Amino acid sequence: METRIQSKAFQKFAETAATITTPETDVWKESGGKIIGYFCAAMPVELITAAGFLPFRLRGTGSTNTDLADIHFSSLNCTFPRHAFNLALEGKFDFIDGVVFFNSCDHIRRVYDHWIRRMDTPFVKILSLPKKAEHPQVEWFTEELAILRDQMQEHFGVEITDAKLREAIKLHNESRKLLRELYDLRRADNPPITGSESLAVTVASTAMPPELYNSLLRELLSDLKQADGISDHKARLMVLGGECDNPDYIKVIEDQGGLVVADSLCFGSRLLWKDVDETIDDPLAALAQYSVADRPSCARMFTEYQNRAKYVKEMITDFNVDGAIFERLTFCEIWGFEQLNLTNDFKDWKVPLICMDREYILSGVGQLKTRVQAFLETMGG
Amino acid sequence: MDAKKELSLSRIVEEIVFYQPIIEILEQDPGEMGHLQLPILKSLVKQHKKVVECVENDLPFMASQYTNPVEILSAMDIPWYFHLQSMFAGSGTGGSLHIFEDLEAMDKLPLPTDCCTFLRLGLYYQSAGLYPVPSAYLALTEPCDGVSGFHSVFMNHPDWKNVPTFAPDPPYHNNDRAIGYYADEMRRMVDFITGQTGKMLEMDRLKEVVDETNKCYALWMEYNEIRRSTPTPHSYIMPMSMFFQSNSAGAGEPEKTIWYQDMVADAEMRVRENQPEVPDQKIRLLWYDLQPFYFGEIAPWLEQEWGAVVAMDMVSYCPYDIIDTSTEDSIFRGLAKRAFQHGPMIHQARGLADNVVNDITRIIKDYNMDCIIFPGHMGHKDMAASTSLMREVCRELGVPFLHIGMDQADQRYTTIDEIKDRISQFFTAMGLG
Ligand code: SF4
Ligand code: SF4
Repeated sequence: METRIQSKAFQKFAETAATITTPETDVWKESGGKIIGYFCAAMPVELITAAGFLPFRLRGTGSTNTDLADIHFSSLNCTFPRHAFNLALEGKFDFIDGVVFFNSCDHIRRVYDHWIRRMDTPFVKILSLPKKAEHPQVEWFTEELAILRDQMQEHFGVEITDAKLREAIKLHNESRKLLRELYDLRRADNPPITGSESLAVTVASTAMPPELYNSLLRELLSDLKQADGISDHKARLMVLGGECDNPDYIKVIEDQGGLVVADSLCFGSRLLWKDVDETIDDPLAALAQYSVADRPSCARMFTEYQNRAKYVKEMITDFNVDGAIFERLTFCEIWGFEQLNLTNDFKDWKVPLICMDREYILSGVGQLKTRVQAFLETMGG
Repeated sequence: MDAKKELSLSRIVEEIVFYQPIIEILEQDPGEMGHLQLPILKSLVKQHKKVVECVENDLPFMASQYTNPVEILSAMDIPWYFHLQSMFAGSGTGGSLHIFEDLEAMDKLPLPTDCCTFLRLGLYYQSAGLYPVPSAYLALTEPCDGVSGFHSVFMNHPDWKNVPTFAPDPPYHNNDRAIGYYADEMRRMVDFITGQTGKMLEMDRLKEVVDETNKCYALWMEYNEIRRSTPTPHSYIMPMSMFFQSNSAGAGEPEKTIWYQDMVADAEMRVRENQPEVPDQKIRLLWYDLQPFYFGEIAPWLEQEWGAVVAMDMVSYCPYDIIDTSTEDSIFRGLAKRAFQHGPMIHQARGLADNVVNDITRIIKDYNMDCIIFPGHMGHKDMAASTSLMREVCRELGVPFLHIGMDQADQRYTTIDEIKDRISQFFTAMGLG
C-alpha cells in the first residue's frame, strides 16, 4: 500500500492486511502448525493460541465477486459474508483446520449453516454468544468456552491447560498494550500514522503469529517515534461501524483531506481498548468476562448502547475529533438501527456525523469521495 | 389526562372505536363465521381498554413481546400490551388505518431503508409518541438482529430511557443446558416484574394458567392436523388467529380455550360435511413467511381467482410442546422452551437453518402441498440466506417453489399487482390451477 512510513515492520503489516495467506501462514502450515479461523471480534483468540494453533480472522480480502456464494445467499444479505464464503467455496480457506462461529448476526450465522453443508473443514463449531453483558451471561459463555476447549482437546489431541491459557492471555494483552501505544500516537496534533495505515496494523494482528506480531509492532512503534507527523489534513475524523477490514476504504476518506485519528470498528479500537483481566483465577472466566462484558461492545449487544455511546464520546474528546463517519455494510440491521441512536446522540453532542452505506469490496468510490468532500466542507475544511 | 398521554392512546382508542360497532353487528348477526370472529375482536378490545384504563388512572402496566411467556404476565395479573401487535395483526385487520401516512413519516427517520419495515414503523410510532409509555418494559432479542437493534433504539428514546427494562437473552442452542439457562432468565424476569410492580408470582396460579394455555395449544395442534384435509376447512383469516389468541394479553383465560374448541369443532364439521369455507379448491399452498398487512387483498384473490388455499402457513406451524406442570422447575423449563423455541418466527429464524429445512419437508409431505410460496420479507435476512436450502428441499420433493421478495408491511416495495402477476405466472408455468 502507498505509505510515507519508512518501516519494514509496517510493510509486513500492510502486506498481511492486503492478502489472505502470507509467507508467515505458509511457514506455519509447513511446519505442521494448525490454523483456526473465526469471524467475530469477540472470539477469545487466546483459546486458540493456548492450543498451540494460529488464530486467523476470516475476511473477504481479495475477493472480486460473490458468484459461488450467491447460490446460497440472496441479494438481501450483507456482502461481507458473501465475499468471505465465496473465498471459502473457491478453496482459499482450505489451509484452515477449523472454524469457530458465533451467532454474531443473521448473516454470519447462516454462513455456518452453509459451511457445514458445503465445506469439509474438519472442525466447525458454533458458540452461543449472549446479547447482553450481565453476570449470568458471562457464566453461560464461560461454559461455552469450556465446552469448546473440551472439543478442541478431543478433536486435535492437544492439552489446553489453565497455565497455557494464562500465558496466551499475557501474550495477547501485550499486543493490545502495544496497539494502545500506537493509538496514543494518533492523539497528537500531527500523528505519524494515518487511519488507513493504522487499520492495516490492526487487521494484521488477526492473521499473524502473536509473538512475531508483537516484535514487529515494537519495531514499528520505534520507527514511528522518529517519523514526521502529518499536518496537511483539513479535519480530524473518527470512523464508526462494524466490519471494516479494508485500509483502502479509509484511504479514500483521507485522500479527501480528513485524517482518521480514531475509530470504533470491529477490526480497530474495539480489538484493543481493554485487556483481559489477568487477576481472575479461572482463565476461561476471564476470557468470557472480556468477550461478553469488558471489551467495547459491538451493536449486537443491544443493552449496551449507553456504554458504547460513552466510549465514542470519550474518544471524540480524547482524540480531538472534529467529525465522524458512520459506515455500515448495506443490509446490516445490527448497525442499521444503531444509526438512529448515533444520529440523535451526535446531534446532542454537536459533533458532525455522516452516515454512509457501503459494500464490502471498495466500490462507488466517486460517490464516497463526493460525500466526504461535502462533509468536510460543512465542517469548514 | 395530559396531551402527551392522550396522543399515546390515540391509535388504541381508534381501534376500539373501529371494532366496537363490528362487534355489535356480529353479536346481532354472526353470519356463517361471526361466532368465531367475535371472541377475537372482543379480546382485542378488552386488552386495549385495559391499557387505556391504566394510562388514564396512572396504574402500572407493561409493554412486552409475544415471546416473553404471556402466562407469567397473566398469572401475575399484569396488564400489558405488545407494541408491535397492531403491525403483526395487520394481515388480519389490514394494518393501521393510517398505514400509508405512517410509512411516509417512517421514511423520514434516519434509518437505512433496508432494515425491517415492521420495526421501522414501530420506531416511527415511538418517535411520534403513539405508544403509551409503560411502567416497565420487557424487551426481546430474538429472532433477528433487527429486533435487538429495535430495542436498543427503543430503550434510548427520551420518554422511555427511564422505563425500567428487562431483556431476556435467548441462547442459540436448543439443548437442555440452553433450556435451563433460559428458564433462569425467566425467573430473573419474574423477579424484575415483582421489583417493578410489587406483585408476586403464585406458583399455583401460574400452574392454573399454564394448564389452560396447554389446552389451547393442544387444540391448536389438533386444528393444524385437521388442516391436512383436502379440501382445507377454513379460509386464511381464521387459522391466522390461532397465534393471536394464545400469545396476547389474557392468555390462559378459559374463554380462549372455548374459542379453540369452537374452531376445532367448526373445522371438523366442515371436513365431515364437505363444506369448506372456500369452495372449488384447486391448489394447496404453503405460505412460508409472515402474512403481509395487505394479505386481505391477496388471499381472497388467490382463493377466488385460482382456487388456491393456504393449507398451512409459517405462523401456524409451530410445534408447541405441552408443558409439564408437575413442578416449578418443569413449568419454568416448559415456558422457556415455549418462549425461545416455539413461537412463530422464533421457531424458524432464531437458531440453525435446520428447523426451516425440517418443517418444509414435513409440511410438504403431511399437508399434501402443491407448491410453496416464500414471500421473502425484506426484513428476514436469515431467511434470505436460507432460501437455497428451501429450494433444495422442494426440488428433492418435486414441489414447485416461488420466492417473491416483498415487504410485509409496505406494498410500495413490491406492489400487489406485481405480486399477483408473479403468482399467476408461477401457477401457469407449473401447470397448477
Ligand atoms: S457487517 Fe453486520 S451483517 Fe455484515 S457480517 Fe457484520 S454484523 Fe453481520
Ligand atoms: S418481521 Fe422478521 S425481520 Fe422484522 S422484526 Fe420480525 S422477525 Fe425480525
